[in-house]
Amino acid sequence: MSEPMISLKEITRVYDVGAEKVYALAGVDVDIHNNEYLSIMGPSGSGKSTLMNIIGCLDSPSGGLYNFEGESVHTMDDNQLASIRNQKIGFVFQTFNLLPKLTALRNVELPLIYANIPKDERMVQANLALEKVGLGDRVKHKPNELSGGQRQRVAIARALVTNPAIILADEPTGNLDSKSGEEIMKLFDELHAQGNTIILVTHEAYIAEHADRTITILDGKINTDITKHIKRDVS
Amino acid sequence: MLGLFKENLLIALGAVFANKTRALLTTLGIVIGILSVTMMGTLISGLDRSFEKSMSFLGRDVLFISKHAWFSNDNWWDIRNRPDIKLEYMDKIKQQSKFVTAISPTMQRHIDVSRGEESISGMALVGTTPEYVQTSTTNISEGRFITEGEDRSGSRVVVIGNDIAESLFKNISPIDEYVKIGPYKFRVIGVVEKQGKFMGLFSLDNQAIIPSGTYFRLFSRRGWIQLNAKVDEAHISEAKEEITGIMRRLRGLRPEEKDDFAINQQAAFEDQYNAIKLAIGGTGLFITVLSLVVGGIGIMNIMFVSVKERTREIGVRKAIGATRNMILGQFLIEAIFICLLGGLAGLSLAWIGSLLINKFVFPSAMPIWLAVISMGLSLLVGVISGIAPSFKAARLDPIEALRYE
Ligand SMILES: Nc1ncnc2c1ncn2[C@@H]1O[C@H](COP(=O)(O)OP(=O)(O)OP(=O)(O)O)[C@@H](O)[C@H]1O
Ligand SMILES: [Mg+2]
Repeated sequence: MSEPMISLKEITRVYDVGAEKVYALAGVDVDIHNNEYLSIMGPSGSGKSTLMNIIGCLDSPSGGLYNFEGESVHTMDDNQLASIRNQKIGFVFQTFNLLPKLTALRNVELPLIYANIPKDERMVQANLALEKVGLGDRVKHKPNELSGGQRQRVAIARALVTNPAIILADEPTGNLDSKSGEEIMKLFDELHAQGNTIILVTHEAYIAEHADRTITILDGKINTDITKHIKRDVS
Repeated sequence: MLGLFKENLLIALGAVFANKTRALLTTLGIVIGILSVTMMGTLISGLDRSFEKSMSFLGRDVLFISKHAWFSNDNWWDIRNRPDIKLEYMDKIKQQSKFVTAISPTMQRHIDVSRGEESISGMALVGTTPEYVQTSTTNISEGRFITEGEDRSGSRVVVIGNDIAESLFKNISPIDEYVKIGPYKFRVIGVVEKQGKFMGLFSLDNQAIIPSGTYFRLFSRRGWIQLNAKVDEAHISEAKEEITGIMRRLRGLRPEEKDDFAINQQAAFEDQYNAIKLAIGGTGLFITVLSLVVGGIGIMNIMFVSVKERTREIGVRKAIGATRNMILGQFLIEAIFICLLGGLAGLSLAWIGSLLINKFVFPSAMPIWLAVISMGLSLLVGVISGIAPSFKAARLDPIEALRYE
């Protein structure tokens, strides 16, 4: 097998709560390869979000080793981490996290602004990303003029727009009804089929079903790590 | 980088317009500060110009001998009890002085001037001699000035100021026409060129100048007299000393006695004017600094509030790849933008103010450099008041920011 895209070794994340130390992650080892479709499950408070944030370079581990595409994240400065978040990672949040005053198009355009891409090209790419998630006809809408499912699609378009190596989604369907949730999952399936690497956190087994590999976390440690061996037909 | 700057500007614009009243209130300090600094500057530069113009009327090289000093703290009673300045001094001063090249008296009172039905009141009747032309900056635009003969014989001739000429003689030349000064008929022999207002206070164009002999005969023997001595400009202070000596001898003052007369010069106005300028400048500066500091603190506060309110937004921006500097820039630009907006508002108000002053008080215009300085000042306030909140925003932890409710 090729070198993993993401390699975590003995990753810990400790919070000091008063005098007490809380181990949100208590030593996690996991390798994630290109074009994997991975779901993370586990009870509330088990450390799923913490793990996602560390993978997404939003948070730094307290201990352990994290290599992203073969490079140690620990040696990177703030600007390099920002650049990884901008170029390599697309985040999708449970609460969408769109900027309410901006239109769908402007929201999707945002990562491209930080990537210093010229305006015309930004417009082309942002429109393309919105079309890709089926919102080509909603570009001028503000988040509060869109349904929950549509908002999450805008967020996915925003995550996609820089062509990241990996999409991280922390309970992307958690705030959606099951029908919208299913639509969002179909979108992830398509993205995966197109070659994207996807990691998603979920509480629902039927959501996790979409992934090829499922990790369960318990008390900050990996409990099970199961890869389906039935190959999906890529249609 | 330019693209990002433009984006930040748009974000700032959006943020400011989303909170119009708040922005308006916070910029008030800046508006007042910039308004006061520009108004002060405009006022002073206008005053300067008007002062210079007025001073040229007095003449740098003329010493004015009169009963009292123009600006003094002398006891009013002392001044009142001083003997009058006498016309006879003129010849003696001229004989004894090395420096005096010309000397003339001025006697003055208010009077009505009329022609036919038309009458204008409150004109300045001035009695003087032909040498007045040399001791003042009076230029005759039409006709001629008083002659020696007319002065000696007490002729009823008058040289009128521009305002009088314009109000009493609408369509015809005033020369050789007659006007009534008080109850007496005078022949107009000349018109003084338009001079404008002195310090924006009183018009110099409402004078009726008549021979001193005539003045004495018809109007008053006693009263206020001032002698105007034109001297060599290079030796003005020596001339002043010399004339003081001559005057003391004329008055028979013993060495221990104080002068019972005053010798004034343009410089006295300058001193007084500089004091006024300093007062205006000081007050303006005080108001400016105060309101800019208050305004700056207000903007800093509002920026802190803005950062707090937009914590989540900052988290999102960081999550999708904004660096610290980009966030810093965003908030700094917003603070600067608010300040520049306030500065611009202050500048516009000041500009309107300067137009009003120009129209109603004295000629003035806001100097360009002042506009540049005030915008620079706004920028500075923006940077200073924006830096701390912007740093706070830039240093926010993305996870905590995203979790902020
Ligand atoms: N800032 C923090 N300070 C202290 N403890 C924290 C902090 N953030 C997370 N934790 C703790 O770390 C643990 C893991 O949190 P995390 O958010 O990763 O859980 P999770 O698995 O995502 O749960 P959920 O399914 O409810 O989202 C929890 O026990 C939480 O209390
Ligand atoms: Mg979570």
